[in-house]
Amino acid sequence: MGARYSYSFTTVTTAAIANATNLTNSAYPGFLQGGSSTQRLNIIEVFMGGEASASSAPQIMILARDSTVAVTAISGGFVALLDGSGTAPATTAVVGNSATTTPQRSSTLHLLHLSFNAYGGIVRWVSRQGEEPSVVGNTASLGEVSLSATTGTTAGTLSGHILYEVA
Amino acid sequence: MKSLRDHEGYLIIDHSQTEGVPDEVVVKLGLPAGSGKGVFETATFTCSHCQTVVIINPDRKRERTYCRGCNHLLCDPCGAERALTGVCRTFEQKIDLFLTSKGD
Repeated sequence: MGARYSYSFTTVTTAAIANATNLTNSAYPGFLQGGSSTQRLNIIEVFMGGEASASSAPQIMILARDSTVAVTAISGGFVALLDGSGTAPATTAVVGNSATTTPQRSSTLHLLHLSFNAYGGIVRWVSRQGEEPSVVGNTASLGEVSLSATTGTTAGTLSGHILYEVA
Repeated sequence: MKSLRDHEGYLIIDHSQTEGVPDEVVVKLGLPAGSGKGVFETATFTCSHCQTVVIINPDRKRERTYCRGCNHLLCDPCGAERALTGVCRTFEQKIDLFLTSKGD
C-alpha cells in the first residue's frame, strides 16, 4: 500500500459550472492530478458537509475526469499524510482548487454523482480497497480528476475531504 | 469464498437535519427516488471496465451485467458494450497500456 493522503477543503462556496467549461477558481472543492507522467493515485473516499445558511442549497456534485488539466500557479486546499509516522514519496500529487489554466470537467468521463443539500446535509462515499477509481499520469483525461458542482446547483458553502493513495 | 459483495463500496447521504433534495434532482443524477430525503445508505461498485462508481439502487429489478472475464459487475454502458462485442477489457489493462506507452 502506498502513502495515503487527505486533501481537505474548507468553506468553499460552490458555483454551478457546466461540463467542458473552465472551473471557477476557489468555487469548487478541488482537483487531484498526478505528480508525474506515470504517477498513479487511487481515490479512496469523498466526504462533503454542507454549511449553507439558506434552507435550500442543493449541490449537484460530480467527481469526473478532466478534459483540460490545471496548469501554473496551482493553490488551494490542504494536504496531509494520513499516517503520522509515514514517509512522503519523492513525488507527491498536485492538488488544489485554483490555477492559471483552470481545469475543465469532461463531458463524458464522470466517475461519481453526488447530490445533497448544503443546508446541513452530509455525503460520504468510501471505496472498497482494490476497487478505487484512479488517476494516472498528469495529462488529460486520465491524469486529473476534479470534484465540482454542475448546472442546477444553488450556490452553497461546504467543507470536506478527498482521501487518496499515491500508489 | 469470494463474492461480488466483496467489491462493494459504501455511500451515505444524510439529510436527517435538513429538508434534503427533491426527487427531480436526485433521479436525474442516477440516484434512486427518495435518496435525497432522510438518511440514505447504499452499496456502490466500481465498474471494472471504466471505473465509474455505480450507486446501487436497492429497488432496481433489472439484472446487472456480470463479466465473467474479470469477475466484476459492469455499469450499464459497459454492460451493453460487453454484450455487443463479447470482449472483456478492464480499466487496469488500459492503464497498463498507457503506462507502457510512457515507458514505465
